[in-house]
Amino acid sequence: MCASACLAAVANFEGVFKDTAPALELRGLTKRYDDGTLALENFDLEIPAGSFFGLLGPNGAGKTTLISAVCNLIRVTSGDVLVFGEPADTLVARSWIGLAEQDINLDRFLTVRETLVYHGGYFGMEGDEAEARAEEMIDVFGLRPKRDVRAPRLSGGQRRRLLLARALMHRPRLVILDEPTAGVDYELRLELWRYIRRLHSEGTTILLTTHYLDEAEELCEEIGLIRGGRLIARDTAAGLRDHFGVDRLTDVYVKAMEVSS
Amino acid sequence: MSGATGLKWLSKRETLRVSKLWTQTILAPVISSLLFILVFGLSLGGRIKHIEGVDYDIFIVPGLITMAMVQAAYSNNASTIFQARFDRYVNDVLSAPMHPWQMTLGFNVGGIFRALAIGASLAVLAVPLVGVPVERPFALVAIVMLGLVLFSALGLVVGIYAEQWDHTTFIQNIVILPLAFVGGVFYSVSILPSPWHELSHVNPIFYLVNGLRFGFLGHSDVSIWLSLAVTAAFAIPAYLWAQYLFTSGRRLKP
Repeated sequence: MCASACLAAVANFEGVFKDTAPALELRGLTKRYDDGTLALENFDLEIPAGSFFGLLGPNGAGKTTLISAVCNLIRVTSGDVLVFGEPADTLVARSWIGLAEQDINLDRFLTVRETLVYHGGYFGMEGDEAEARAEEMIDVFGLRPKRDVRAPRLSGGQRRRLLLARALMHRPRLVILDEPTAGVDYELRLELWRYIRRLHSEGTTILLTTHYLDEAEELCEEIGLIRGGRLIARDTAAGLRDHFGVDRLTDVYVKAMEVSS
Repeated sequence: MSGATGLKWLSKRETLRVSKLWTQTILAPVISSLLFILVFGLSLGGRIKHIEGVDYDIFIVPGLITMAMVQAAYSNNASTIFQARFDRYVNDVLSAPMHPWQMTLGFNVGGIFRALAIGASLAVLAVPLVGVPVERPFALVAIVMLGLVLFSALGLVVGIYAEQWDHTTFIQNIVILPLAFVGGVFYSVSILPSPWHELSHVNPIFYLVNGLRFGFLGHSDVSIWLSLAVTAAFAIPAYLWAQYLFTSGRRLKP
């Protein structure tokens, strides 16, 4: 009895400990590509668990490199990446991350259902659980009529929704969305915003990169401005406006980029 | 979390890809190899009669099965990983909670599955058609597995390094196919004059063909142990090379 009670207490303690760790912690992250390009330089960032963090910056600022470093998709030059206190390259940390990349990178051989089920499998879900979750995601993302259609035959909007459904399939604690609304029409953009808001309201930490300032202001609790591989400002939208003494986030962005260039 | 479930699903995905395209991946190579057996065996068989005491149509079967399997294992894995890189779907696997060795193994499964399906189909058809025996089944299984590890791993390595689709087919058409043809598929190297006889012995596919020939017919140009050793000597580094690419992320991750 005592042993099981003690084990339960330890498990609870560990649960509390993990929950208090930041969802994402980057310490001195540097990435220099093979061609010499320095994409990130000694980058530090901490995103609290349960928050909605937006990363804004021009093309080539280092947003996608940062995301790729968190998701083990690049070879990091130096620095540490921790996800809920665990090194990002551990299996458990990887299982906590859900990524929807900017480019549509769906498996052309798989149907909508298979795309979700196989992704769930890669992330450790067993057959029945993956099948049930896939059916749930198909309904949530309005893909029921396309359930048995292969990815290349989907419309652009359906592919985008499938990409998001795939990222959420294994119930990640940290969802990373790399420009999820790039190139989509306004209607779908609003629809995706609804999904993302709901996800956040359920306690999931979200890291969003976007070029749309209105999107960042609408969704994010906190915004980081990144340029040339460095974080140049970080605050709430209101805090950034106050700091730069302007009324609109667009002006914050312009000023911040001018100052840093 | 051990990554075992991920490995299982990645292996399933790789075999599903082969099954979905079965007319291209299995049926087409079976038909073309069967045509080789029928056309070469029946037309040349009438003139050559025997090689080392075996009917010509029986003699060529092990070599043709080898050639079909080797090409299938290589081309399947070169194309699956190249396509995964090209479509960037490979990121879904690379970011998954799996160890690099599990990714290497999972991606290898498709080529091995496809080659075994082709080899088994050809053997099932050739046994009643030309009466080819299976004299040494254990030796046959051992050499087939080593050969498939070699060529499926080689396919992965080339598919990972390839910048364009042409690079994968270049290796197949310029290296593997010619080596298979001069590896004793259609003849015994013992009838070759010097230096061609000696040169044949530096061709790794020669040992593979002779290993399979030993498994089917019970004799070959070289010892089965030499065939197994040489094939293993190429298979192990090829597999380790593929493993290194997944572990280090070279060519897979910028």
